[in-house]
Amino acid sequence: MASQDHLASLCKVVFNNLAYQHDWTKLQQHAQADQPRPLLYGLPPKRLYVQPDEQIDIIKAEKDRGERIPQEPEVEWVLPVHLSEKWSPAQFAAVFDGIDAIPPGGAEQEASEGDEREEQWKLWRGPKRGKRILLATVQDDSTVTYYWIFDGLVKPRQN
Amino acid sequence: MAASAERQVRISRVAGRYLVFDIDDVLYIRRHHGICAVLTGTMPQNPTQNLFLSLPVELQAEEAQLLVDKGAGYIADELNDHLLRLSTMNDSTRSAYLQHIKQQRRNAQRVFEEEKAKVQARHQNKRKANRPASPSSAATTTEPAPATVTEDGDSLFDTPKPTPPPPSLTSTLKEKELPLPGVTPTTSYPILPAITSPASPASIASTNATTPSFYPLYKYLNSRGYYTTPGLRFGGDYSVYPGDPFRYHAHYLANSYGWDEEVAMLDLVTSGRLGTAVKKSFLFGAEKPGGPQQSGGGDGAGGVRVFCIEWAGM
Repeated sequence: MASQDHLASLCKVVFNNLAYQHDWTKLQQHAQADQPRPLLYGLPPKRLYVQPDEQIDIIKAEKDRGERIPQEPEVEWVLPVHLSEKWSPAQFAAVFDGIDAIPPGGAEQEASEGDEREEQWKLWRGPKRGKRILLATVQDDSTVTYYWIFDGLVKPRQN
Repeated sequence: MAASAERQVRISRVAGRYLVFDIDDVLYIRRHHGICAVLTGTMPQNPTQNLFLSLPVELQAEEAQLLVDKGAGYIADELNDHLLRLSTMNDSTRSAYLQHIKQQRRNAQRVFEEEKAKVQARHQNKRKANRPASPSSAATTTEPAPATVTEDGDSLFDTPKPTPPPPSLTSTLKEKELPLPGVTPTTSYPILPAITSPASPASIASTNATTPSFYPLYKYLNSRGYYTTPGLRFGGDYSVYPGDPFRYHAHYLANSYGWDEEVAMLDLVTSGRLGTAVKKSFLFGAEKPGGPQQSGGGDGAGGVRVFCIEWAGM
């Protein structure tokens, strides 16, 4: 199966790139029957994405506490694709429909942090987290570019 | 508010373009329906910068379609409408129009006469002021060919009548002597007075045949209070604003695709990169076939699925 080999090597390139160039940990491959291809998930060394509304809640909470709130990294989904591929909106929809917003193991990690209070900013790491996938686009020279792809309307970050 | 809810915007379809000529309509659709559209009016011989363009406003086909679907407007095929109304004109409107044209020609004549009299009067005053100051020697220098010109004759402003009567008299006199100047009507207002509601069903054109493929995505964004402008400057179909573009920067650059249309990954990456560079997110959406029935429109999405792409910063 040439296409299976292709997908396996694609995953491997992204896996290694994340593990050795970007220092991700707890990397796992995630195959699912209703998914067109295996996904990866793992823990980046520092937090990769903060939703703009979440950022507002964090700033509010920081103001109340009078100190900075350290932002722990979250477990993220990764979808490996090759630059020469063509994807239709239907395929992206299928990928999003097959996953939960929080990758396996992500929820436990959040719970283990201890639930002191139901603070607004914390909800963004749990029930309010939208579906997002890191789109890892591989080129022939093994360059990998990472883009977020979000399910639904997600306003841009103030970067 | 009740009045604005009943307002019917007349969208004129001229040569396949959808135009709105009434400034009140333009304000209304911008304020109540989130449609800014594009001002296109300018002088053809001296086009101005985009910033200074004026009425009419040109709607995209999907914007016109949305207004029609909401019941807030109707599309008038101007060519058919004009022909229809002109051909059904009765004799009294015809004579009223001819009278109107004649009146316009008289007005033009009067303005012309007044202007001429003014110039003549000014010139004569100048001559009177000059004459005592300059004796005969000076007259020869100012007038190189005085031999044939008589003292009261005016070489520059020679008129058939040596002594023009006051302007009020000229207009009545001239009417018999000279034909009135021709007037080219520049609007059809006098002959076709403004209409505020669809005159006849025949003048309403249907848009259903030309529903553009962008329509589902456009409707989805509009129903969420987003404003859109043409997105060419960022390489997309739309720039999407969270409110009136006068007040906000765009949040997204949007592209509409077919549900099974294959999009090159390079397009997604480059658009995402461009969007991030201009502090926007690249949005693409598609309508799921048979979507409106399936989702029941509970979330108002109407089967439209959208995705946003942003650079991950790593």
